[in-house]
Amino acid sequence: MKRQRAAPIVSRAKGLAAEIRWLLSISLSAILLFPESSAPADVSQGAQIAATCASCHDPTGGGQAIPPIASLDEQAIVKAMLAFRASESPSHVMHAVALSLSDDELAATARYLADRASAGRQP
Amino acid sequence: MTDWTRRQIGGLAGGALLAVAAPHIVRGRGRAKVVVIGGGIGGATVARYLGDMKSIDVTLLEPNSTHVTCFFSNLYLAGLRSLASLSFGLETLAEDHGITIIRDSAVAIDSGGKAVELRGGTKLPYDRLVVAPGIAFKFGEIEGYDEAAAKIMPHAWIAGPQSELLRRQLESMEDGGVFVIAAPPNPFRCPPAPYERASLVAYYFKQFKPKSKILIVDAKDQFSGQELFQDAWSRHYPGMIEWLPSHFTGAIKAVDVAARSVVTEGETFRAAVTNFIPAQKAGLIGEKAGLTDASGWCPVDPVTFESTLQPGIHVVGDSIIGGDMPKSAFSANSQAKACAFAIAASLTGSPQFPPHLFNSCYTFLAPDDAFTNALTFAPEGGRIKTVKMFISKVGESAEVRRRTAHHAMGWYSAFTADVFGGGS
Ligand SMILES: Cc1cc2nc3c(=O)[nH]c(=O)nc-3n(C[C@H](O)[C@H](O)[C@H](O)COP(=O)(O)OP(=O)(O)OC[C@H]3O[C@@H](n4cnc5c(N)ncnc54)[C@H](O)[C@@H]3O)c2cc1C
Repeated sequence: MKRQRAAPIVSRAKGLAAEIRWLLSISLSAILLFPESSAPADVSQGAQIAATCASCHDPTGGGQAIPPIASLDEQAIVKAMLAFRASESPSHVMHAVALSLSDDELAATARYLADRASAGRQP
Repeated sequence: MTDWTRRQIGGLAGGALLAVAAPHIVRGRGRAKVVVIGGGIGGATVARYLGDMKSIDVTLLEPNSTHVTCFFSNLYLAGLRSLASLSFGLETLAEDHGITIIRDSAVAIDSGGKAVELRGGTKLPYDRLVVAPGIAFKFGEIEGYDEAAAKIMPHAWIAGPQSELLRRQLESMEDGGVFVIAAPPNPFRCPPAPYERASLVAYYFKQFKPKSKILIVDAKDQFSGQELFQDAWSRHYPGMIEWLPSHFTGAIKAVDVAARSVVTEGETFRAAVTNFIPAQKAGLIGEKAGLTDASGWCPVDPVTFESTLQPGIHVVGDSIIGGDMPKSAFSANSQAKACAFAIAASLTGSPQFPPHLFNSCYTFLAPDDAFTNALTFAPEGGRIKTVKMFISKVGESAEVRRRTAHHAMGWYSAFTADVFGGGS
């Protein structure tokens, strides 16, 4: 799923080379403005939707009762959410959440959570 | 490398391009200022999420040094949680999320001059204001129930000293006493909570004062989660809880604190302990600032939570009206996130996406028997509409209910970390 999605985005982006250079220079200068520990929070669509997850799932992954999601990879999240979407059991809470997300929103959220998890794992 | 590039390129999708450029313009002239009134659930969440963006200067006004959560305060009344375990300071928001906390109340809002006046006299300028003052009570609506009466017949609907008072009264009540809960009319803070309170106090009585009775004198003819509650009352506390709908009593007309009685159209109920939960309206600053309509609540845009009466001022949490979202901590937190992203979009040009509004509450019937609901909402025609709703079912196994009660504990710690800071 990851690869299929990446291809069209890359080819569209090639046509926007100038904007990309411009965008990257802005992003880099934005990063340089802040010391790493206080980097501004991401406000992408994935990040905005993932903020909803934090109402129940401990973002540090230490949840006692509600399963942690902080260390899952992108495919595991998508797979789990599709299963939740298909059935009210085992969790009607997750069923409601999964039904409220379009495929694109789900992919963006899973990508954001997985990226954050892998960034967190790097030394 | 490819991964990193893909992530950057991913940022190009949709309307994100312009959006990324704009923060620099704002930084060039100094950070935009957001003032948040109220460091409860809605206000703390907005402040935290805006603070994390780093591009906005956030000031949070709250007169109390700690917030005691109303959710789980019924467990405290039953002797199952300490009040200290339900109390949160705002220090983490200041230390880890870059928010300036001012221990003071807002007494006036100058919407033209874009400034908030504090009780201490200071005037704070803002680019955007968020108002999250919770609820106020309609004292005086029922004859005999005013602020002084609440010191004898506590409402315990704002957690803290009122909860302690009610707990002391329940502890000193003799076995065989009658405990009356006067349940308020709609709309009010946390629709299932009066009935959760009846359930958990019954749990306490069952152990320590088994001859006691609980009477719920209701202003309504039906209530949230009714079937689930009535099923649980007959299973756990047979004969102990009686619910009297409004059509049966003719509704509450007056209270007499000296006689310790609640007077309805047809009857007078004398009680050893009375928990009188009054009718409610938006927190008082809402009315003072012209944010409320005839309903007593604050109408808002369902996407940005900007007041429809006062531009530049956003309202979140229990104070709002204008849709299907119940007045719950979960709703307040969900609205606050949508509001924070909308404010960031307007002040810094960050991207805005359709909000995902959600509510899920855990309700206790007994310590190891809890139910949940889950509702999703979307803006439609200027209002917040329910899209889907799911709720636990009567007849679920004891194991399912035990697991739900266990999940509730996990929810509490994750949720309070999300609101008051702590997680990453
Ligand atoms: C018994 C009970 C059980 C509940 N259980 C649940 C539950 O299980 N799940 C759930 O989701 N919800 C539950 N709730 C509801 C939940 O507590 C409220 O919906 C939630 O607190 C609303 O958040 P808020 O930010 O609107 O108001 P609050 O959290 O009350 O915060 C308002 C804050 O504003 C401050 N303030 C007011 N005026 C001013 C001013 N002029 N200047 C500065 N500060 C001001 C106040 O001091 C307060 O700290 C329960 C409520 C009760 C009573």
